[in-house]
Parts: sequence; C-alpha cells; structure tokens
Amino acid sequence: MTQNSASVPATAESAVAAAPVKLRLANVAKTFENAGQNVEALKPINLEIREGEYVVLFGPSGCGKSTLLNLVAGFEEPTSGEITLEGRRVTRPGHDRLMMFQEHALFPWLKVIDNVVYGLGWRPGYRFRPRLRRQKARELLKLMHLEEFARSPIHELSGGMKQRAALARALAPDPKVLLIDEPFPALDALVRARLYGELQDILVRTRKTIVSVTHDPREAACLGDRVIVFTGRPGSIKTEIKVDLPRPRDINDPQVAGYAGKIAALLEEGQRETIPGEKV
Amino acid sequence: MKPSPEKKFRFYVFGFYLLLFVIWQALFSLRIIPDYLFPSPLQVGWRLWELGNDGMLWPSIKATLVRMAIGFSIAAGIGLVIGMPMGMSRVVNSCLKSLFLGLQTLPSAAWVPISLLIFGLSDSGIYFVVIMSSVAAVAIATSDGILHIPPIYLRAARTLGTPGYAMPFRVILPAALPRVVTGVKLGWTLGWHGAVSAELIKSSIGLGYLLYWGRELNDAAQVLGIMVLTILFGLLLDRFLFGQIEHRIRRRWGLLTSA
Repeated sequence: MTQNSASVPATAESAVAAAPVKLRLANVAKTFENAGQNVEALKPINLEIREGEYVVLFGPSGCGKSTLLNLVAGFEEPTSGEITLEGRRVTRPGHDRLMMFQEHALFPWLKVIDNVVYGLGWRPGYRFRPRLRRQKARELLKLMHLEEFARSPIHELSGGMKQRAALARALAPDPKVLLIDEPFPALDALVRARLYGELQDILVRTRKTIVSVTHDPREAACLGDRVIVFTGRPGSIKTEIKVDLPRPRDINDPQVAGYAGKIAALLEEGQRETIPGEKV
Repeated sequence: MKPSPEKKFRFYVFGFYLLLFVIWQALFSLRIIPDYLFPSPLQVGWRLWELGNDGMLWPSIKATLVRMAIGFSIAAGIGLVIGMPMGMSRVVNSCLKSLFLGLQTLPSAAWVPISLLIFGLSDSGIYFVVIMSSVAAVAIATSDGILHIPPIYLRAARTLGTPGYAMPFRVILPAALPRVVTGVKLGWTLGWHGAVSAELIKSSIGLGYLLYWGRELNDAAQVLGIMVLTILFGLLLDRFLFGQIEHRIRRRWGLLTSA
C-alpha cells in the first residue's frame, strides 16, 4: 500500500512521479447548512498528492479551496467522501497534517523558542525529553535565521520574522503534510519573495509534502509542483497545471511569470463561464 | 514611544488638584459650615500626621492591605476555578452567569450583616465579605475572556496536536488572560469596598475601623483624612499594580493599537 519507499530516484522529477501517494481525497464533498438552507461549498473532489510534492490549490475567493484545506486538517468533516493520509482516515486535527494560518497565530504568552517547542511536547519521542525539544527548536530557529530572537516575546518580531517563527513552529513536530492557508498575505512583496525562497529551500532540504492555498497566480507558479485550478462556487477541480521549473524559483523569473499568466488565464476563463455578464 | 495622554497633561492634572484644594480651603475660610463638620485640608493633613505619630495609621493600612492580599487571592482563585468551566460550557455559563450578575448588583456592604451572623466579630468575617464582593467579577471576566478567545489560537493549538486535557491550562487560560486581568482589576476594587465596609463594623484595626472611630469621636478631620487615604491606596493599587500588569499583558498579546 502507501508505505514509505526506501528507494531514492535520481532526479527530483522522477522522485515525485515514483513517490507513494501521501494524501488521497476520494469523492470529498462539503455542504454547509446556513439558516436552514444547504449551501454546497465543494462538489466531489478527487485528488492524490504524492510524497514530497508541493501542491497549490488555486481559485477565486469563495471557491472552497480553504474549505478543502480545513477538511484535510481535520477541522471540519466532509459531508461525503473520504480523506486518507498514508492509508489512514483523517478524522480530527493533528500534527501529522499541520496547518499554518494566514495570520501567524503564534502564542503571545510564550517566547519565540517556546512556541517552537510547544508542538513537540505532544510527540511520543519528545514527550518527556525537554532538552531534546529545545535542541530541535534551536536547530529550526537557526534554519529560519531567528536564533538571536529565541528568547524574545512575539510582539517584538517584525511581520516577516513572525511568519518565519510560525514556519519553524509548524515544522518542529515534523508533520507528514504541511498545510498552508495563503502563505504570508499580510506582508510586503519584498519580504514575501524572500519567504517563498526560504519555503522552497526547506522543501528541497526536507522533501516535505506541502499543500497550500492561494488566489495569486504568481505565488502558485512560484511555489507549486502542481497547481490545481478550482472553478467558482460550488468549488470543483477545473484542471491542473504541472509547473516544470527547477527550484529554487524566483517569483520575478520570466518563466514563473509565464506559468502565472497561463494559470491566471484559466481562472478568468472559469469566471466567464460561471458568472456571465460580469466584467473580467 | 508616544507619551500617554495622562503623562502629557500631568501638569494640568496637578493644577486641577491644586485648584480643588484651594477651593476646599476657600470654602472652609468662608465658614458657611462649622469647622467641626467641615475641616480644612490642613486640619485633615494634621490629623493624619497625628494618627501616624500615635502609631495608629500604618498598622491600620497594613492590616487592611494584608486582609485584601489574602482575601482577594482566595477570591481570584475561586473566581478562576468557577469562571473556566463557565467559559468552556454554554450550559454552565447560562446557569451561573445570571446568578453572578445578580450577586454583582449587591453592594459590598450588604454582605456584612450575614457575615456577622455567621462569623461573629472574627477576622474570617472580613475575608468572607472581601471574597463574596469580588468573586463574581473575576468569574464573569474569566468566562467572558474564554468566550472571546480569537479562534485562531484554538485552531493552532489543535493542529499542533494539543490533547484535550492540556487545553485549559496550556492554551485557554493564557489566551483569555487580557480579559481575565481586567476582571481581576475590577474584582480588586470591589473587594476593597468590601474590606473597608466590613472593617467599619467588626474590626479593631484597619482603615474602615479608623473611619468608624473617627465618627465615634465626632472627628470630621479624621473621617475625611481616612477617606482620602482609602481612595489613594485604592487608586495606587488599581492604577499602578494592576494597571501596569494589564498594560504589559495587552501589549504582549498585541492588543494595543499604538504598537
């Protein structure tokens, strides 16, 4: 079945193709009840995400892509269908499918390092080993260039530093899949471009499986191995685009911009289909 | 950092109080009310100085503060223990909130007769009044604080794998802290009312007792002086002790707008 394979294929491209399926969504649909009325948010979705893949869910706002992420994280249950991680059914939130939010969501009552340590406290291997937890947290802060701020309170960090600390905290429990809801929307373009670089750096180093959500075509092209394009409400998969570019990618690279154009065109086409009469 | 408005206007504030004293002194000098009923600020200050020299003042201030420190610590503890389940369960909240809101409308002094009946003239009666006056405010603030926790913290805690048993003390209480501290501050003020009210009737030491004793002696200067001292200490602790703690927590939690 979907067990970790020990073989390490030669190139990154074939590695992903040959990697076992990490996360499988089978006919996952979601209907919300709102004031006695059923509102369909997601039509049945089928999606397979392989180990080490970076998949971007892309679509107009309100297309249900964030809902899908919430379902994978276990915050909500699908109305029908099944989500499995390594063959095991997802039922509730947990650090194997760790979610990063639009806001950094760092705990203000803890210092930076204690935020990173926090999630490790509930892991079997770290449970009763505080020294090991601190050591791992220090390594991650170093990776994020935050080691000097380990003992700082959260409010003393800049926006970009907070997001890097949040990334360190998310990576600490070594999640099987990292879910990112709109990475770094509240930051200025320069800081964001750097964080995209760091995110890819980590991706290359740890071969982490990542699913993120965005409505920015450039971000999708810069980060994703595959970009899943959603149609408007109710959400369903319209098509997917493979971004066949070497990493790390620069968000201002013309090739990235080329892919971004393709992705944006698909979105506009979708909008013309679903919302006739509205200006494009 | 921007200076707070209070700091910027402190000369005006100082001037305002100076003016207040001048008006007080002027009213006294007009002799509309006989001076044994309406003493001058100087007479009040002199009486306090005398009380201090007689060794009456400091032990009384200390006694009231110690009673508050002990009584209010117990009250805050009880308030937290009751407030947490209130914040986490809608059923518990619906039942207890109306009760506590009702109790909060009861003036602190209204607890004194029942405490006399139960505890007689012992010190435990004062603690009882302090606790009963302040527990409701702490409990309500704790439950409100928990109900207003930004959901993002709870979601983050869950995705980081926090087990249910660890949520209350590792996440819920710290996340609710800014509002809890505001409630603690209010509870302290109400407890302070309670302590002084109880001392009026059933103590032989304390600020409340000095008030009572001043009335027995027909000494308006002492009564007014102790009133001023009671205000001063209440304000000092409210603004400088709890106010500072509150300010620091709000800054850390990112709740100050001028950050």
